[in-house]
Amino acid sequence: MRLLANRPSPLFITCVIVPTIAAMLYFGLFASDIYVSEARFVVRSPSKAAVTSLGQVLGGAGLGGGATEESNAVVEYLESRAALTDADKDKLLTRAYSAGTVSRFDRFGGLLPANLERFFDYYLGKVEVEPDTTTQVLHLSVSAFAPNDARAINERLLEQSEALVNRLSTRARSDAVDAAQDDARAAQTRARDAAVRLAAYRNRAGIIDPEKEAEARLQGISKLEDELASARTQLQQMESFTPEASQIPYLRTQVASLQREIARRRLGVAGGRNSLSAAAARYQVLLLDSELAAKNLAATLVSLQDAHAEARRKRAYVERIAPPSLPDYPIRPRRLGGIVAVFVLGLLAWGILTVLLAGVREHREG
Amino acid sequence: MSTAAHGFRASLGVQGRVLHALLLREMLTRYGRHNIGFLWLFVEPMLFTLGVAALWTAAKAYHGSDLPIVAFALTGYSSVLLWRNMPGRCIGALWSNLSLLYHRNIRVLDIYVARVLLEFGGATMSFAGLSILFITLGWIDPPRNILEVVGGWLLIAWFGAALAITLGALSHQSELVDKLWHPASYLIFPLSGAAFLVDALPTAAQEYVLYIPMVHGTEIVREGFFGTRVHAHYDLAYVIPFCLALTFVALFTVQHTARRVVPE
Repeated sequence: MRLLANRPSPLFITCVIVPTIAAMLYFGLFASDIYVSEARFVVRSPSKAAVTSLGQVLGGAGLGGGATEESNAVVEYLESRAALTDADKDKLLTRAYSAGTVSRFDRFGGLLPANLERFFDYYLGKVEVEPDTTTQVLHLSVSAFAPNDARAINERLLEQSEALVNRLSTRARSDAVDAAQDDARAAQTRARDAAVRLAAYRNRAGIIDPEKEAEARLQGISKLEDELASARTQLQQMESFTPEASQIPYLRTQVASLQREIARRRLGVAGGRNSLSAAAARYQVLLLDSELAAKNLAATLVSLQDAHAEARRKRAYVERIAPPSLPDYPIRPRRLGGIVAVFVLGLLAWGILTVLLAGVREHREG
Repeated sequence: MSTAAHGFRASLGVQGRVLHALLLREMLTRYGRHNIGFLWLFVEPMLFTLGVAALWTAAKAYHGSDLPIVAFALTGYSSVLLWRNMPGRCIGALWSNLSLLYHRNIRVLDIYVARVLLEFGGATMSFAGLSILFITLGWIDPPRNILEVVGGWLLIAWFGAALAITLGALSHQSELVDKLWHPASYLIFPLSGAAFLVDALPTAAQEYVLYIPMVHGTEIVREGFFGTRVHAHYDLAYVIPFCLALTFVALFTVQHTARRVVPE
């Protein structure tokens, strides 16, 4: 193995010197400064009950699922094309990432043709969302070539996430409340219809309450019966003691007319086609309908109230812990570190190849 | 320069012939010409994988995704066989081949490389064969991105080969390596990504699991196989330097051992 004696071997040049010089050129001259703006936020969704210690254990083991639906939705959204197109509506991202001040190697569309698919790939390389399963905090960091761009893009993505969470939560809430409201409205119309039908029947039949009316009529009938009984007794007494009395024909007419009246009234209460009992059957049906509808209405009103309360409880929202920061120093690229890494990897590759090639050379013909 | 290049090419030819001869010898001594002979080379790992796939299917093992368990077992267990069998074969390989070192052109590294190549071939044929079989039977879908599967597979093989050669060379100097490898390989197996998807682990555990190099390879193979159905976690910027460094260590251990080896 020949180290840097007087002239470095071609292998050393290709494995170590060329890559290191390339790295020095890139990191020293070409690589543009990258500013990283970071924001931290929580997606609050009170539908998730307070985490018990058991829940924490399960969540920690990857079984319970630590994050909530809404925060998963935010992560998925931020890593989707929709987030990119939404954020780039006024070409903020396009301008920030393909500005002429950015070096050709780092710029979007600098070396490769610019199209939407490549821009999405590029975007994924610049935006990082990291959910922390134990604390439920989401870290959103955005890299850009100017501090203001980094913060503006971060701010915009954060706003879009907020809009998404609001949309999801409004939707979930309005779905439940809408259904309950529809139910309540239907119950209301049914109750009203039933009451109207009952009132119309009362008007038509000319009775308020058949049972009470029947009672009143029966009372009338029994009074007539009493009168009939006393008239009969009087008639009997007169016929046996004073058969010649002049009142007897009068009493006879009274008894007869009382009997006719009683028969007529009985027919009005029960039996005939226009009797009260026939009316009561129809009336009972309508009354029952109306009562059921009223009870149903009360129940749906209670569930509507519950739905409203549940919706108030279900409200999910984004809580900003730390707003997008304005970086004042480019933390990337790590220029010296990059050069050293390339140098060390080159040395390793050179070492391996040297030993391998030396191993091959140990085989000789003959 | 041209003479040097010519000499190098000649040496490479010699080494190729040596490796070829060693491979044939290895196959014959290990499997002989009885029954199906060298077919055992890949039938053996196939049976292993089939058994594990059947066992996991029967047990409905939990693996944290909605992938078919057969596909999961195939990608996971084949990867394990790939990196686990190479060190297994290379440990102690030198002792059984010491007499060969009388030949000038058979070097210590050749013996290890021959065994590594044999294991790689066996595991690859088993993986490919079973994949084709399962795809034909309709149990699994064809891989989404074959090149990515190949890349992940080669990455695991690289790691396995470097580990195998290091351990093989060390085992010639100390018997401890042989004794420790067996428990170690069984302990690493559950951590190697064969039985779980990194995505199914909590974030805190993912961070540590990704220090294990084979996990990255297995994840790449799975991503190539299943496409976007799995959310693969891997970091080439970690595995490739790791493998480079391990290869470096491997070659230097071999040199160290070769200088000390005493042919019988």
